[in-house]
Amino acid sequence: MTKQNKYTRLKKIAHETRRQVLSMIVAAHASHIASSYSIVEILVYLYEKILKINPKDPNDPNRDRFLLSKGWGISTLYTILSRKGFFPKKYLEKYCKDGSKLIGIATHNGIPGIEATTGSMGHGLPIGVGIAKALKLQKRKSRVFVMISDGECDEGSTWEGVLIAAHHKLDNLTVIIDYNKWQSFGRTNEVLNLEPLKRKWESFNWKAFEIQGHDFSQIEKAFKNCLSVKNKPSVIIAHTVKGKGLSSIEDRNEWHYKTPRKEELEVAKKEGLL
Amino acid sequence: MKTAFITSLVRLMDKYPDVITITADMGFDVFEDLQKRYPNRFFNTGVTEQASISFAAGMALSGYKVFFYAQAAFATMRCFEQVRLDVAYNNVNVKIIGTNAGVSLNQLGVSHFAIEDIGLMRLLPNMKIFSPGDPSEMEWSMDQAYKINGPAYVRFTKAGGTPIYSRKMKFKIGKAVNIKTGTDGAFFATGGLLSMAIRIVENLREKGINLSLYSVPTIKPIDGATIIKEAKKKKHIFTLEEHYISGGLGSAVAEVLAEEKVATELLRFGFPDKFTSVTGSINYLLARNGISIEKIEKTIENKFKKL
Repeated sequence: MTKQNKYTRLKKIAHETRRQVLSMIVAAHASHIASSYSIVEILVYLYEKILKINPKDPNDPNRDRFLLSKGWGISTLYTILSRKGFFPKKYLEKYCKDGSKLIGIATHNGIPGIEATTGSMGHGLPIGVGIAKALKLQKRKSRVFVMISDGECDEGSTWEGVLIAAHHKLDNLTVIIDYNKWQSFGRTNEVLNLEPLKRKWESFNWKAFEIQGHDFSQIEKAFKNCLSVKNKPSVIIAHTVKGKGLSSIEDRNEWHYKTPRKEELEVAKKEGLL
Repeated sequence: MKTAFITSLVRLMDKYPDVITITADMGFDVFEDLQKRYPNRFFNTGVTEQASISFAAGMALSGYKVFFYAQAAFATMRCFEQVRLDVAYNNVNVKIIGTNAGVSLNQLGVSHFAIEDIGLMRLLPNMKIFSPGDPSEMEWSMDQAYKINGPAYVRFTKAGGTPIYSRKMKFKIGKAVNIKTGTDGAFFATGGLLSMAIRIVENLREKGINLSLYSVPTIKPIDGATIIKEAKKKKHIFTLEEHYISGGLGSAVAEVLAEEKVATELLRFGFPDKFTSVTGSINYLLARNGISIEKIEKTIENKFKKL
């Protein structure tokens, strides 16, 4: 099988995920489309290939855990959870509608597959550290994956969690950084420079990998590497493009906030997202 | 109080294997034995109050009942957002133990005082608040914190180490404890100042003013029924706490009374709306803020003289 063919199915799922996310965001007139698009390939890979989870038993104590610390990218996670069978696809129509439990931030309110409320920045990682430590104490083989944003690397609580995880040698914990180089008000290196980011994590006693976050072969390799790290937590610094997949919004920060309208939707149609 | 706290915690850890203790680098001369006894259930997460609360929430989400111990000021205010979201909103079994609440760390000043903590914790849905006034209330608070499903905040001050009750009491969540019965007014006190309240009520009795006295070991939920019952019978209600008069017991009582529209006068003893930017002994700091046996007694006496 050629590499091209190997990932055809995953690419198709990624594309379908983007289609669904677009329809949800447009219907709800919601924000954060670009933040939801930058994480699609990584989440698709995690849920298709890595996580040991059972949608029929979402609270199985031996399940792997995924926390979307950057909880505002939730439309992608809801889409994937529904695809996996955690809840009916019809629920997705209620995204951000009156009275709906599908809130625009990951919320632990009974939606199967959502492990904790995350999305206020800097919470998901230390919560994940606590879960990883608990799983170790319970001698379970389950793993914890936490996706954080680059902006969350500004938060002190993130680095507190980084210290605790390394101190406890939590090799069942993997953090993925969605390094799309944008935060609320500008470029990350202009607002508050994170570089050298990989060396920072390494110096905190984490095993760090750096990849292109939309390339399935690189994603595959990185997760494979993380699974074999011993005695320390691992981090994947994934270079991504904010808004990846819809050319008219790619790498433009206003799509952190705006809902695509006529002009962008015409492009979306041409690009097969509508 | 600290002794009653640590004894209770050890008892809980001995009895229930799902209890975990986390400290943000606090507990010198308190936790050494516990650390040795339970190396896999006692964690010092360092001076990381924010991540420690999230970490505790993560452990609670995985099935543990987690007691988090820190100075009351840092256990509630430094990490308020983590308490609000990770603990209260997720509604998990994290029990926050705030030691040295009030002005217990008298020499260190406002940075180390916690006289806003009850107010902050009261704002959070799902949170239950315990403010024990003697060792038996402390032991009971710890037991209840373990037993209830969901978040709890137990705060205690340096004061309050003297046993108040001569017999074994049956406390109940959301119930004030009747200590004395009187016809002229009702006095509600919480936490370590309970013994001061007893002295005040006893002294006033000698002067012919008979007040009922209640200890309020649970501030949330508050015992609205008892407050209303007393207010309907009496013209004066008094509250006393080592906390700002706004946000704590005094506020809770005021809210109950305001909604019930009973014609009673409420007088709250506690810290007024200002920072105390001097140092001194605990008693000095309390007195400077109007919290002394003499001052409170006099104020109450004057109330009754006017009648």
